[in-house]
Amino acid sequence: MQNSNEGHLQIRLITKQQIYAVPDVPLSVPQTIDGNSLNDLVNQLLKESNSDHLKPKNFDFLAIGELLRVPLIEHLAERNISTETTVEIEYVEKTPAPEPKDSLLHDDWVCGIEATEKWILTGCYDNSVNIWSTHGKMVASLKEHKNIVKAVSWIDKSDPNRGFISVSHDLIGIIWSYEDGTDSAAPKALLRGHERGIDSLGVSPNTARLATGGWDTNLKLWSTSLDDDGSEHVHKKIRSTNNIVTKTPLHTLKGHKEAITGINWIDNYAVSTVSMDHTIKFWDAELCGIKNEIVGQKAYLSSSWSSINNTLLASSADRHIRLYDPRSSEGSLCKVTFTSHSLWVSSVAWSNYDTNLFISGGYDSSVKMWDVRSSKAPLYNLQGHEGQVLKVDWSNKKYMVSGGSDNSVHIFKNKHV
Amino acid sequence: MGNKQEIKHVKRKNQEETNSTEKEAESTEDEELLNVINGEDEDSSDDDELEISGSENEESDEEDEESEDNEEVESEEESENTDDDQESEESDNEENSEVKAENSKNLGDSAGANINEKVANNEYEDFDSSDEEDIRNTVGNIPMNWYNEYKHLGYDWDGNQILKPETGDNLDAFLKRMEDPDFWRTVKDPQTGQDVVLSDEDINLIKRITAQKIPDETFDEYAPWIEWFTSEVEQMPLRKFPEHKRSFLPSKHEARKVSKLVHALKMGWIKTRAEAAKLRAKKEPQFYMLWQTDDQAEDMRRIYKHISAPKRILPGHAESYNPPPEYLFDEKELKQWNKLKSAPWKRKLHFVPQKFDSLRKVPAYPRFIKERFLRCLDLYLCPRAIKMKLNIEPESLVPKLPSPKDLQPFPTILAIEYKGEKCQIFFFLLQKINWFYNLGHTDMVRSISIDKTGQYLLSGSDDCTIKIWEVNTGRCLKTIKTNSVVRSVEWCPNAALSLVLVATGQEVLLINPNVGDYLVNSKTDTVLQDVPKSDVVTPERVRATVQWIEPDEEQYKNGVRLILKHFKDVCQVTWHAKGDYFATVMPDGQNRSVLISQISRRRSQLPFTKSKGLVQCVLFHPTKPFLFVATQRHVRIYDLVKQALMKKLLTNSKWISCMAIHPLGDNLVVGTYDRKMLWFDLDLSTKPYQTLRLHGTAVRGVAFHKHYPLFASGSDDRSLIVSHGMVYNDLLQNPLIVPLKRLQNHEGFNDFGIFDVVFHPLQPWVFSSGADATIKLYNN
Repeated sequence: MQNSNEGHLQIRLITKQQIYAVPDVPLSVPQTIDGNSLNDLVNQLLKESNSDHLKPKNFDFLAIGELLRVPLIEHLAERNISTETTVEIEYVEKTPAPEPKDSLLHDDWVCGIEATEKWILTGCYDNSVNIWSTHGKMVASLKEHKNIVKAVSWIDKSDPNRGFISVSHDLIGIIWSYEDGTDSAAPKALLRGHERGIDSLGVSPNTARLATGGWDTNLKLWSTSLDDDGSEHVHKKIRSTNNIVTKTPLHTLKGHKEAITGINWIDNYAVSTVSMDHTIKFWDAELCGIKNEIVGQKAYLSSSWSSINNTLLASSADRHIRLYDPRSSEGSLCKVTFTSHSLWVSSVAWSNYDTNLFISGGYDSSVKMWDVRSSKAPLYNLQGHEGQVLKVDWSNKKYMVSGGSDNSVHIFKNKHV
Repeated sequence: MGNKQEIKHVKRKNQEETNSTEKEAESTEDEELLNVINGEDEDSSDDDELEISGSENEESDEEDEESEDNEEVESEEESENTDDDQESEESDNEENSEVKAENSKNLGDSAGANINEKVANNEYEDFDSSDEEDIRNTVGNIPMNWYNEYKHLGYDWDGNQILKPETGDNLDAFLKRMEDPDFWRTVKDPQTGQDVVLSDEDINLIKRITAQKIPDETFDEYAPWIEWFTSEVEQMPLRKFPEHKRSFLPSKHEARKVSKLVHALKMGWIKTRAEAAKLRAKKEPQFYMLWQTDDQAEDMRRIYKHISAPKRILPGHAESYNPPPEYLFDEKELKQWNKLKSAPWKRKLHFVPQKFDSLRKVPAYPRFIKERFLRCLDLYLCPRAIKMKLNIEPESLVPKLPSPKDLQPFPTILAIEYKGEKCQIFFFLLQKINWFYNLGHTDMVRSISIDKTGQYLLSGSDDCTIKIWEVNTGRCLKTIKTNSVVRSVEWCPNAALSLVLVATGQEVLLINPNVGDYLVNSKTDTVLQDVPKSDVVTPERVRATVQWIEPDEEQYKNGVRLILKHFKDVCQVTWHAKGDYFATVMPDGQNRSVLISQISRRRSQLPFTKSKGLVQCVLFHPTKPFLFVATQRHVRIYDLVKQALMKKLLTNSKWISCMAIHPLGDNLVVGTYDRKMLWFDLDLSTKPYQTLRLHGTAVRGVAFHKHYPLFASGSDDRSLIVSHGMVYNDLLQNPLIVPLKRLQNHEGFNDFGIFDVVFHPLQPWVFSSGADATIKLYNN
């Protein structure tokens, strides 16, 4: 601030976190101030106003709704903001860096992961479905599938006892029963109906429905219940000798021209799918029709829907992650493009507690943690993988889990919560 | 009181100032006096004027003396200050006006009467005597100082000396000054030496002259103007007598003269000026420009489309009489010049440059006449013709290609490499031997093929394996070992069959890869299991060429469903678009080098009986029953139904390596080992529509995209070149070919670069397999 030969800017520091509030007065700071010096400034102010503030905290700064990553003047110049007005800078406590916790070694590539409070479910290229505890202990390894397991999902993430589902390139999905804490998992139902490999899987929020999609370009909806597949449904059940029900799809939704690579339930009656045919489609699960369609430029590889901020993240067969707001009417549907990966981004996952955070994994063997407000650079690069990252998962907010072609699942502990 | 102060002041001043200033002072003083007198004296007459004019001479003569006596006069004046106040006036200008007023009154009282008296008395005397008085001394107008030495001043009319009057000494002069009131106006007459007392008129006159006024004080400078000769036209003549008659009657003499002139004009004896000018113009010689301009072709009369003679080259420095030294011949040049004597037209110069000191030393040019003559001969004998010359800039001939930016999408970036990871080999060899087969190729990958949905990729390599890869992840899903080097692989285009053709050594394998749709896989197996019964006896020639063999148990487990054992090495296999027929190529097979087999009937045919050359590759038309056969130098198109040669494409290259046909079937791209790519428009001609020399070395693979207007070529120079190849439905519009991108990610091995190029069936992605045992995927 003492450097008088450069220009100064008027800023006003605001925050939504009341405990870190500082007096609301405009401050004059050098134009070239960056995050670190702003951090010092805020800590100084906090120390002055609040004697309890002993330990300096790390803050992130938001100017014009985007995280400050370069000197303030450049940040403003990029967005064509006049430097003559008072710039409002919001600061939030910095998201702490995730910490590598564990590495779960598999026999083959891992391409399906979902975590609950205690368990991590993985699908593996050696046709196995594995259950691990979050502490890194393998609970069960189930080899029912005859081909690579592409996706796995718990039916109810809060209640592992309801079982889980796995889909595979052997054209079959399996609904498994599971008793919490034991290794007793057994296939309860086979989902038959796909003609080619199943790549993606999604369970509706109320856990009643299930959607699968794959290389036969059809989206198929199934019921998750094992017993009440009663007479109102047309599909027939075949009870085999060892009590395995074979289910057929409730509905088959045709529309995509190429493989469906990502399925996300928006609510109990709407599904979004992304496909290699460059489209994102929104389906009505009740009426079984297309509600909306977004046509992109590249083949999509994965997607993630955030029920908190109602936006869809989609990664495509290039190096970018795109954020879509399907409800927006003005401008382009693609709101932000996140660019940092150097190869294809194979998987994205929203955080389920924060509107701004998500993680992504790419073929450049990196897992990145992003803030929506910083599109050019991720918050953190989570190192550890030695091959392509095939799947990332953040359904347990404490752990970011990623699996890849180095046959391992890496668990990063989220220190934010 | 005031006066006394002024006097003191004057005194002091006089002491300080020089004589000249004193003179000035006096004159101003006198002037004042004169002014006063003038103002008083109103009734002056002409007589006065005359008198004064008469006395002028006298005064002028006296002036010298006066100046001589100035000192005396001054001293007198000083003494007289008390009597007359006038003298003091000069000292103080500010108080002048007041003093004047007083003085004028005084003088008016004292002097006015005197003047009048004098005028009356001296009227007569002055009138006559002015001349006589002047010449009382007869010496004439000589400098009087000549008489300074003598006692006399000159001679009077009678010849008697005029004696100089006695001049008193200083005391006398002083006394005179003190006593004589007229002393200040007494002057000495230089002619007679007598003292003369100047009258008031004289003094007045002197003062007026010195003040540069008109000496006659009675002359009214401001008298009203009388206009004797007015500018106005008077009503009546000034003169009493009338105008003369001739002033209003025309002159007869003049009339006669005019009539004479008119007659002369009429007769043409004399000319008017205009006529004369015209006449002169006519008489003058007529000039015209021989050449309108210097550079344009001269527009000569009567010669139609005259071609002007070529201009001679202007003389240069070498022709100069004093050329720069570099133009002068040295010995070597001179020798060379002399050597060409027999062929003088070969000389650079037709003369030897010479140097002269000056222009006047330049001799006459001996060849002048000769050269002129030759020139004339040239002009006369050499026919001239107009040559039309087209000036076409080479740039304008190059077609304007669109920028690659506008032709997107096309593959630009390396996305996935399909290869083994060495670090994992050791790690997993311990755990699972099986894993080894899931890794990448270990030798050159000669051929790749992609399934219809774009999910799986098939590759055949020199390490005697074929591998099936998952396209999206780069995962090797399956490895099938073969007995020999795999030369060519191709996925069956029939969606209902899950079959791949593999050419390995002398065998062609039909393999069910068992990926994708299980239903199709199992159906394929069942279809292939039952052998169709046929009563047709296979000809001996075919039987010697190929044998259909059922695989043994282990091979069946690996997916091999049928084996075709050929009599020579098979280097290429290709499916017909329907997926029932396929063709195999054995380059060494002479007239049996191309074999067409049918799966459903398990039958083979040899379509050709005669060998046309070393067959490089064959290709089925995508829609029509045509077979393209590429020998070393030509591509022949056969109609399989009519069993006739349709067309022979002339490649104009040494050795064809590969070809690919556009999905619409009207355009063919041929790659050659001599680095070229030839685009044939089959409707257009049998010669290449375009030859692309984009690669540095042999082209080994070309491919068309099924949907996008793209084609690609791979070469031994390790580069994969993606080009835009738009084919229009309009027959009149030629295909648009724009090279877009060079992708050079493969590593060379044994001078080999890229072997095969394949496009993704749906996405704008391209695969290339290389000698570095990898397959690479490039996406947009």
